[in-house]
Amino acid sequence: MSRIGAPLLVELRQVGKIYHLGESRITALKGVNLSIQRGEFVAVWGPSGSGKSTLCNLIGLLDTCSSGTVHFEGQDVTALSDDQRSELRNRAIGFVFQSFNLIPVLSALENVMLPLQIAGVSAARAKRAARKRLAEVGLDDHAAHRPAKLSGGQQQRVAIARALVTDPALVIADEPTANLDSENALRITELMRRLNSDNGTTFVFSTHDQRLLDRVERQILMRDGEIIDDRSPEQSAMRLDRSVRL
Amino acid sequence: MISWLKLALRNLFRNRRRSLFTILAIGLGFAAVNTLGGFTAYIFTSLKDSYIYAQGNGHLSIFKAGFLQEGKLDPTRYLIDEDEMALIHDVLARHPEILVTAPQLHISGLLSNGKVSTIFLAAGRVPSAVSKINRHARGLVGKIQLFDGKPLEDDVMRGVGLSRGLAEQLKLGLDSDAVAMAPTVSGQINALDAQVFQLFDSPVEALEDKLMSVSLKFAQSLYDTGSVDRVTVLLESDELTETTRTRLAEELAAEGLNLEVKTWNELSTFYTKVKQMFDVIFLFTFLIVFTIVVMSVINTVSMAIMERTREIGTLRALGVKRRGIVGLFAAESMLLGTLGSLLGMVLTVITWSGVALLKPTWIPPQITRRVPLEVYLVPDYMLYSVLLLIVLSLVAASLPARAAARMQIVGALGHT
Repeated sequence: MSRIGAPLLVELRQVGKIYHLGESRITALKGVNLSIQRGEFVAVWGPSGSGKSTLCNLIGLLDTCSSGTVHFEGQDVTALSDDQRSELRNRAIGFVFQSFNLIPVLSALENVMLPLQIAGVSAARAKRAARKRLAEVGLDDHAAHRPAKLSGGQQQRVAIARALVTDPALVIADEPTANLDSENALRITELMRRLNSDNGTTFVFSTHDQRLLDRVERQILMRDGEIIDDRSPEQSAMRLDRSVRL
Repeated sequence: MISWLKLALRNLFRNRRRSLFTILAIGLGFAAVNTLGGFTAYIFTSLKDSYIYAQGNGHLSIFKAGFLQEGKLDPTRYLIDEDEMALIHDVLARHPEILVTAPQLHISGLLSNGKVSTIFLAAGRVPSAVSKINRHARGLVGKIQLFDGKPLEDDVMRGVGLSRGLAEQLKLGLDSDAVAMAPTVSGQINALDAQVFQLFDSPVEALEDKLMSVSLKFAQSLYDTGSVDRVTVLLESDELTETTRTRLAEELAAEGLNLEVKTWNELSTFYTKVKQMFDVIFLFTFLIVFTIVVMSVINTVSMAIMERTREIGTLRALGVKRRGIVGLFAAESMLLGTLGSLLGMVLTVITWSGVALLKPTWIPPQITRRVPLEVYLVPDYMLYSVLLLIVLSLVAASLPARAAARMQIVGALGHT
């Protein structure tokens, strides 16, 4: 399922992933094919152990596949060196983690500045960009606070600002609402949806949260390392409706 | 770059107690090495000054070539006669850096109190020249007098000094009379009356019951010769020793003299042995400090890596390269080394001030009286210690930091 006419951002061809735990082999992904266009808002869902986190890690260049190829912005990233992958992640991919993963010794502003400073941007420019992103997520008045002084929802908003500060083509979010209460989960979901529609940033996230699934335009259902369903919510609803009528 | 240092500094104080103990270990190690270094510098300087100035041996000694190897077997063959001495004086006079020239004749024989005789070894020197050398002494050596009694005099030939052991053996005290006997250079037995002007401590314990100090005239009269066996030279500064030795050797050879020029440290075996001993002690102390510093830093960095595994994963996900992770932990350990060294400097200065304030005294080997115990502040040692401890901290951190940088990002992010 894809946006018609939008350029291709990520493409997985026959991607497999096998983990070795001692002498045993665990197949996390089996020959997955997937294409994601720019500007999509995609949820990967499924039961625990279905391979959704592995899929997100491969799309986010956090891990390498055991077989197949991963293309990002038309480039085969499977053969890139670790340094090249790091540069690409820093420039083009933002991450939002389930446990927020903010650096505890840095203030909210410094956390948001971090990806730019890793890229070698001057402190003054990084600060300006970080302030703008913090304002977008409604936390400009919490810029000097360390993560420990922020609520879970606020921390996740800082994490989203950090993910967006480099103007990435793609944001990978790993269960972004799992550690939040309903109100904050809803706020984060709306924020990501707004940033997707306003900025055209592509979002791919793994989730179990039905509230989040209800707001995505594309759902990828995984089971046992395979994509077993890939559709829009409307299609899902129609299918459900048909099965009820039958 | 500043931001990464700031991050490293903040990380350092996440576990304050652990960082504090590591800084303390480095600081105490620094202070131990530098205090010992300051004490050994005091010992080396005192021994050197004692040999050069207090004992009047100067920086350089000129001998007939082969004297040190064969001189005891055939002393007359290696004596410097008056004509040669005049040539030597001419050469030495060309060097303004030479402050004092003192010819010497070392003799041996029997000393008698009228009833009992015993062997003596004596340096025959010009008392006024020796006094000039003594007067150039600085620091501790310049403050202490190494004998009881009165100085020897150029014109009072019979005045001699005895080591305390020798005086005790012959039951001689200050102003006592004695007779010195020895064969002359032509093999005749000769005897001279002597009067004890001074009692001194032998610089070598084995010679405590044998040493005498006599004027050059006394020694030459006893041996019935106008020759000497060496010429002692005092220079303006210690640093000139090697260059002046080389130049003198060349110039003396050019005059057709078959002589050799020895430096003070080649002749002072006691200094060399003590220095070697302290160098070994210093090495052991340094190795202990080295081990403590390396283990402390490895422990601190390893614990930090374990506690911050997820953070390492996050930084890597955000685009920090492997060398960036190594750099971050290297910066943290470099700060540990720097702060530890600063603490060490403060502790060293406190120790130095305490010693300077309390002015403790001690009786060092080879000296029978109490002398001030000092610890020098040696800026060179401190500078090398700072550099070395920072490098050590970096090296110690590199192993765990490299392991951290090689972690799989996904595994690090999932670390609990």
